[in-house]
Amino acid sequence: MNVLVCVKRVPLTGGKIVLTDDARAISTRHLGFTISPHEECGCEEAVRLIEQHGGSSTVLTLGPPEAEEQLRDMMAIGIDRAVHLVTGGSEEWDPQATASAIVEAVHNEPEPPDLLLFGNESADAGNYQVAIRVAHKLGLPVVTGIKGISVIDDGRLRLEQEVAGGRDVYVVPMPAVVSVKEGINLPRYPSVPGRLRAKRKPLDTNTPARPEPRLEMVRLALPPGSGKQAQVLGGGAEAAPAVVTVLAELGLV
Amino acid sequence: MSVLVFVEDPADELSQQALSFARSLGEEPTAVAIDGGESYAPAAWGQALAALTRERGPSVVVAPGTDRGNEVLAHVAAELDLPMAANCVSATPGDPFTLTRIRWGGSLLEEARLHGSPALLSVAPHAVAADPADAGMAVETIAPAGEAVVKVSERVQAHTAGVSLADADVVVSGGRGVGSADGFAVIEELAALLGAAVGCSRAVTSAGWRPHTDQVGQTGTKVSPSLYIACGISGATQHMAGCKGAKKLLAINPDAEASIFASADYAVIGDLHEVVPAISAEIRKARGA
Amino acid sequence: MALAAALAVSGTLFITRARLLARLLQTAAPAERSGDIARRTRNEATIVLGQRKLLQRLGPGLMHAFIFWGFLVLVPTILIAMIGIVDKHDTLPWFGHQGWYALLVDIFCVLVLIGVIADFYIRKVQRPSRFKGSHLGEADLILVLIATIVTSLLLWHATRIALHLNEWPASWSPVSNALSKLFADNQTTRVLERVFVWIHVLTILSFLAYLPRSKHLHIFVAAVNVWFGRTRARGRLEPLRFDDPDVPEEELRFGAGVPKDLTWKQALDTFTCTECGRCQDACPAYATGKILSPKLLIMGLRDAVFAQSEDAERPLVPNAVPADSVWDCVTCGACIQACPVSIEHVDHIVDLRRHLVMVESSFPSEAEPMLRDVERASNPWGKPQSERADWAADLAVKVLEPGDPAPEYLYWVGCASSFDERARKTAQATAKLLQAANLDFAILGPRESCTGDPARRIGNEYVFQAFAEQNVETLNDAGITKVITGCPHCFNTLANEYPDFGGNYEVIHHSELLSTLVRDGRIKPARPQGELPITYHDSCYLARHNDVLESPRQIVSAVGQPVEMRRSGKQTFCCGAGGAHMWMEERAKPINEERVREAAATGAGTLAVACPFCNVMLDDGVQSVGAGLRVADVATLLSEAIEDTSRPED
Repeated sequence: MNVLVCVKRVPLTGGKIVLTDDARAISTRHLGFTISPHEECGCEEAVRLIEQHGGSSTVLTLGPPEAEEQLRDMMAIGIDRAVHLVTGGSEEWDPQATASAIVEAVHNEPEPPDLLLFGNESADAGNYQVAIRVAHKLGLPVVTGIKGISVIDDGRLRLEQEVAGGRDVYVVPMPAVVSVKEGINLPRYPSVPGRLRAKRKPLDTNTPARPEPRLEMVRLALPPGSGKQAQVLGGGAEAAPAVVTVLAELGLV
Repeated sequence: MSVLVFVEDPADELSQQALSFARSLGEEPTAVAIDGGESYAPAAWGQALAALTRERGPSVVVAPGTDRGNEVLAHVAAELDLPMAANCVSATPGDPFTLTRIRWGGSLLEEARLHGSPALLSVAPHAVAADPADAGMAVETIAPAGEAVVKVSERVQAHTAGVSLADADVVVSGGRGVGSADGFAVIEELAALLGAAVGCSRAVTSAGWRPHTDQVGQTGTKVSPSLYIACGISGATQHMAGCKGAKKLLAINPDAEASIFASADYAVIGDLHEVVPAISAEIRKARGA
Repeated sequence: MALAAALAVSGTLFITRARLLARLLQTAAPAERSGDIARRTRNEATIVLGQRKLLQRLGPGLMHAFIFWGFLVLVPTILIAMIGIVDKHDTLPWFGHQGWYALLVDIFCVLVLIGVIADFYIRKVQRPSRFKGSHLGEADLILVLIATIVTSLLLWHATRIALHLNEWPASWSPVSNALSKLFADNQTTRVLERVFVWIHVLTILSFLAYLPRSKHLHIFVAAVNVWFGRTRARGRLEPLRFDDPDVPEEELRFGAGVPKDLTWKQALDTFTCTECGRCQDACPAYATGKILSPKLLIMGLRDAVFAQSEDAERPLVPNAVPADSVWDCVTCGACIQACPVSIEHVDHIVDLRRHLVMVESSFPSEAEPMLRDVERASNPWGKPQSERADWAADLAVKVLEPGDPAPEYLYWVGCASSFDERARKTAQATAKLLQAANLDFAILGPRESCTGDPARRIGNEYVFQAFAEQNVETLNDAGITKVITGCPHCFNTLANEYPDFGGNYEVIHHSELLSTLVRDGRIKPARPQGELPITYHDSCYLARHNDVLESPRQIVSAVGQPVEMRRSGKQTFCCGAGGAHMWMEERAKPINEERVREAAATGAGTLAVACPFCNVMLDDGVQSVGAGLRVADVATLLSEAIEDTSRPED
């Protein structure tokens, strides 16, 4: 089978977010970068599916030139090739623009994918819609928030989604679009031979034109502080009685 | 201007919040639910809602920012080729339509303009208060459209022991500071005494000490308990995105500078391995007395 | 002739085995151990001839020295005996007639016998635990053979004296002379004289054949292994090359996975092991009930080296060495220090880890967040680098920006002191002291990333090298020449390992600088601090790997009354954080608690340290053991001593 996974390069924000002076981006000076957690699990899932069922996998990103790092990281865990849709610096691409660019890239693929994997939502923008838009444009069935994928013999996928009280099961024919959530698997740690091979794996680049945004970011802002001043109940084990007093006030003891 | 609100269940707090949000945008909104029977079929539901939207021509369509709400609304957006803003905290109709939505699970806000009509918005959970009177709201029910290729075929019951994390009223959560899988014994002890669920941070799942189902955070479970007790958790934004729904937060951390204290109601500066068992002992004493 | 036949048999047996050993060394992976001739010569003289490392334990060491020196002295007697077999009236020209040599022979035969008897006593009566797991039967046999050799020599000399065949003046060999009174000048003695010389020579020849098949091989290879021992800094690990243009990628060496991955030095290490167990005795992991025994590790690898012709692809872990053993190590180097024959156990362990981590991605799962964080967030705590200088927020410390002129000193703070709440106090104290002394210094702040030490020690050499290159570039671009650091792990990596990546700096531990400032009067502590004495815990990376012992002690003496623990200086007992153990779980009994108990037993009120890891580990230990000790870095103690207010309430 042929699997395509879409990923996004995001900063590791840590404890506090700092904005640029014009408040139109996060200041990434001194920040490390990674892939959105849901998507990293998507890549691991792609590698597992190919290990199990044979075929090939591709990782794709719409992102700045530095995003090649993320593509190579995913090729290091076993994805066969990468497609880099290169954008300028800190350009914002809204979900519709992102989906169009991905769809165009899919049309350019030598072989149409049987399965397109996305993260349920990206860690930064969290728009929850790219997978669904791509599926609509490609005319493919789409299921989101998946925590379990298996291939049933006749070219169908059995998908599990966590809901209150259990899991909902969907069975869809391939080709299909699936968005996954972290927890579907534990991504493997890349081996060094894998990383060295990844440096030489094929990477196709393209520079799509950015359409006018229809969900247009004007500026970013930090949420107002809760204004909370934590009440210090004490230090060490001696604080226990004070804690229990609070618990009693909350009706828990 | 007319507003359509997709509700999942009038009795559900998040659906009520969506209705309150919608009400703030204009005249009394029309609440719509989709009767899919036992089987949820996202595309078919989206199609039905999209058809209704075309038919009724509202200026805004609102949905709760739940998994299902976001999903159905995204299908509507894709069907109608319209932009959609997920997890909004506020919106101002106009030309252009402006809104504020959350990024990074709530650690950052985005002010944006929506270029398209109707405006499609989902409401960030707990961005507005629900009005319990809305439990009795009038809901128009429509049927899903079309032949559903994608629909739920079965429901597998969960066999989780203990309290479910998502529903728990109290959560006791452990982070890196716990130090090992066995170290969670003190967390579990306190949780058992309080009838609480056990949660953990992403570092803990990454270290293999707890399963992902216990993970609280932006990419884990988002919890909204009355009390969240964070033990040995530094307060990274992606974790806070999962527990900011808590009404009260007690943080236990040896580092007085840890960022979690900026979001905490109560603080204990100390090592959880000493503090947590001491709390458990005090609880037992209080109950025994 | 019978002698020729015996020689041929023994010689053949010896040579075939020697060829096997040579072949095993030739087919092993390469290692760079050339140069430094002067140092190597000095090592041969002190360690081999002088038996310096053996004498670290005076009793057994002296007994071995007797046997070893005896062996050296008695080498000519082998020739003399063989000549004596061929012609009972002949001996080595000149040498065989020398009275002083005969005296030496007598003395050393006795010393060897004393050594053998003492060794039997140690092994059979005292039965020290370091022999647990060793092949004791082999040792017994060897001791018997040695005893037989010298006894037969003495008796042969005795009979020769009795028969008036001695070529040397009998009065020069008092022992043989005394023994000769047991024999009359008669036919029985003539027969016995032949018997004794044959016993002597045959025993030697059997010994020769047995030698390369037993752990007694060390008498040949030990000298070789000592010659090729490490001459560069003790704390430095040998880098791997990932980008060798001469080596195709499939043949790159990523550490030791199968026997043939071991380098010839590592193979030689395993041949040299005598199973003495001193390393096992010194190992803090073994002492606290873990599986790791450096001795058993080397023995396991030795067996694998010899067995590789049967199955070349048999992984070393877990077949030769259990996985837990590999992970238990804290890289403290006590084993290497104890080893009399220059085996480098830590190199073996790190190479095994390298293969496991870099090729198999197999390592304790709790270390995964650290590895991912180091790589993505540039520090093992996973905190954002933008917050790295927050500890200095109120201190007006200069943060060096790109393009700024180079300060005289760069204060390399390290990840622990930047992000850990206990270690942070040390950085603050150090900065205040440097300011009080008006030193021109700056910190890199967010541009200082992890030195890569935890990644390297856990075995991820690839990630380590990325950091080494990045940090060297930052430091070189900033024109840094002198670096002060409070963390011995950073110290070790910056001073000893970064030169391999183009980074050559004068690296000073903060205790060295601070003690100099105290000595020069630029910092004036008031003393004493408190009433109870202060005991100083030596960091393995500072004391054992890098010989910094006195400076922290000078600071302690300047602020209080010092008291030493038994295991101090280079004999220090690890805190348990080395080898990336700061981020790994520990099995069995905790190493840090063991050390805290030792500290508490001195009666001290303060446990002084000079390392942020020791600080955290020992403080944790104090809390879990419930000891009434305050753990503080020497910089913190000094800083408090120069302020008017004394130390905070406990």
